[in-house]
Amino acid sequence: MENALGIWGPQAIMMAITASFTVLGLVMLFAAILMKRRWKPSYAFEFGFIAVMLGLVWYADKLSVGTYTAYQQNLEEGTKKVSGNYDPAQDQVFDREFAVIAFQWGFGFINEDEEISRNAVVVQPGQKVLFKIVSNDVIHGFNIPVAQITAEIDPDDRREVWIKAPDEPGKYLIQCVNYCGVGHAQMKAWLVVEGGENTASLEMNGGNG
Amino acid sequence: MSEKLVNHGPGNLAHWKPENLVGNTSLGELLFSNDYRKIALKGIFTAFIMLALGGFFALAFRAELTVPDVQLLGARVYMTLMTLHGMVMVFGFLIPLVVSILYYMLPKVMGTERLLWAGAAQASYWTLIVAAVLLVIGRPDFTWTAYAPMSIRTGNPYLWMGHLAIILVAVSEFLAGAVLFRNALSGGFGLGKTPLMGWAAGTIGLLFMVSVVFLGMAGYGLLNDYMQWTQVAWFDPSRGGSIQFFLYLFWSYGHPAVYLPFVPAIAVIYTIMPRFLGHKMWSYWSGVVAFILLGLGAIPIGPHHFQPVHTVSGAYERFVQVLTMLVFIPSVLHVFNWISTLFMAPIPASARRAVPFKFMVMSIAFIIYGGATAFLNAQIAPDSDFIHNTYWIPAHFHAMFVGFTAQMGIAGFYYLYPYFTGKMYNQRLGNWHFWLWQIGLFLQITGMFVAGYLYFPRWVYDYLRMPGWAESQLFITIGGYMVGTGFLIFIFNVAYSARWGKDAPDDPWPLEMDEPAADAAQPAE
Repeated sequence: MENALGIWGPQAIMMAITASFTVLGLVMLFAAILMKRRWKPSYAFEFGFIAVMLGLVWYADKLSVGTYTAYQQNLEEGTKKVSGNYDPAQDQVFDREFAVIAFQWGFGFINEDEEISRNAVVVQPGQKVLFKIVSNDVIHGFNIPVAQITAEIDPDDRREVWIKAPDEPGKYLIQCVNYCGVGHAQMKAWLVVEGGENTASLEMNGGNG
Repeated sequence: MSEKLVNHGPGNLAHWKPENLVGNTSLGELLFSNDYRKIALKGIFTAFIMLALGGFFALAFRAELTVPDVQLLGARVYMTLMTLHGMVMVFGFLIPLVVSILYYMLPKVMGTERLLWAGAAQASYWTLIVAAVLLVIGRPDFTWTAYAPMSIRTGNPYLWMGHLAIILVAVSEFLAGAVLFRNALSGGFGLGKTPLMGWAAGTIGLLFMVSVVFLGMAGYGLLNDYMQWTQVAWFDPSRGGSIQFFLYLFWSYGHPAVYLPFVPAIAVIYTIMPRFLGHKMWSYWSGVVAFILLGLGAIPIGPHHFQPVHTVSGAYERFVQVLTMLVFIPSVLHVFNWISTLFMAPIPASARRAVPFKFMVMSIAFIIYGGATAFLNAQIAPDSDFIHNTYWIPAHFHAMFVGFTAQMGIAGFYYLYPYFTGKMYNQRLGNWHFWLWQIGLFLQITGMFVAGYLYFPRWVYDYLRMPGWAESQLFITIGGYMVGTGFLIFIFNVAYSARWGKDAPDDPWPLEMDEPAADAAQPAE
């Protein structure tokens, strides 16, 4: 499933690079222990290796920044003020907007009609949803596994996070991932994606689809 | 022992003689003597007591996490144990263990036969003991990162003891760093001749002294906010403080803190690997450069620990991201150096069967397993997906802390065992310990990686039945208990062999290219 960050592609590349580095290192180590053949690598080999790594750092930085800038631009467009002949229904970037208050220990979601929910955000399949998050007391985390997004919220700060709701109707976890006191484990809510008639009996679903 | 071993400098074999140090030391001497061997022995014993304590905490909360919905401890006890586990293991076990090993090895490697500024080492030890006692009495439950303002609002009446302990840890580590730095300069070899352990002790001693200042300030700020000594708080935003200030202060120590045990462990590899293989390291300068780069990078990259806070896409964030990935390079230089050294010449049979050598090889395997993910963790995009504060992070640092640093400390201890007791450890028990730890750690760390990829959050005592969550927790628990069993075998081996073990020869680690008799059929390498 495509996530809000849209980083499934770049992230898969980076994970593949990480995995191959691990395998390469382990193979070299065990070869050095188990193989009969002996070999003294030249110093040039090490410099070559470092050159490859510098290239990887450049590439990883480019992918990560590219991904994140695209994500951020979407956020900025969503909050842009447009003057003149402006039709909000036409130009709206986000389908839904929620103000979120994170507190010890729970979330408060306030929708466009100022209705407050302590435990659920109800959206339609595939909608783009914006969360404007503030913390009431201590540092909290905000993570929606199915949308593949994590943020940390300082009490003296405000974070905006947007997601693309899953296409499958269901009940998806929203959780705090930063230790915020003894009730941290209870700090959960649900992203409810409506669909059809039997929303109430939806199965809960984890991350990664 | 061959001539090629001279990278011990003048502190070579003449200084290394097995002796029954444990048997010949009275309790009073052990506690208060300024002899480097006794300070080291005391530190190592204390570290193992801390390991037992921290490990016991871990096994207790692992039992809690094995199955969802079943409560054994409850939230407050769980979080207290979790906090103490982290603090005891890092401040009480890892750092003291490897620093004590350096206290013992440095005077021999540098050829001084005495620890300069031993009084400071003594003071460092006792300050740490006071901190540990305060932690156990105060039982804070704010995790070892003590994030403000949560850590001044947890409702525990003895919370100030936790803050005071943080300051004392800073004092203790400052003194330890000063001792390491002073002794690194003691050999008088000049830059190009100082053994790599000297370079390690010098760079890490400096890093200790610089970074713990931030820890002390963070601890003092927490105490100040908790006691309300000043009208305007340092960190608490409800009284005008700044969270960002805390985060920058804390992680300016918090990231170097992972190198504080890491670099001495690396130094132990550079010292015992040539000893087991009978030839020099592949490259001397590669090691030196790596130590310096690691020391330089440690503090500026601290903010990667709170990457998805505040803003993620500024130039400063990008700078930290790139620098974090670049700090990958010194570690790769070390690993490259070790593997190349192993490749250079046939590995003696004596090394292959030595338990410390086995632990050393597997600790290199774990540094690769855990370290490669650092490249991924540094990138803000994946970090804002599944990495930040999920179990992915414990997987990464358990691979580095336990898989590498602790195992390397254990390797150093096995290596020094004959020098402490005059006896050899029991080989069979050593092998059991080795295999239980490798399999247990692999299960545990892999389970954590899987749980993290499935967004299992950190610091929870109970969890939902999400797909894969309970299964990965079960794996971690099994691995944890295997490590615990290995530890019991290790302690039994240490106690049993000290009394009934075989006497150690003058050189406990002689180079033998062939197996004695049983393996005679195998062609010689």
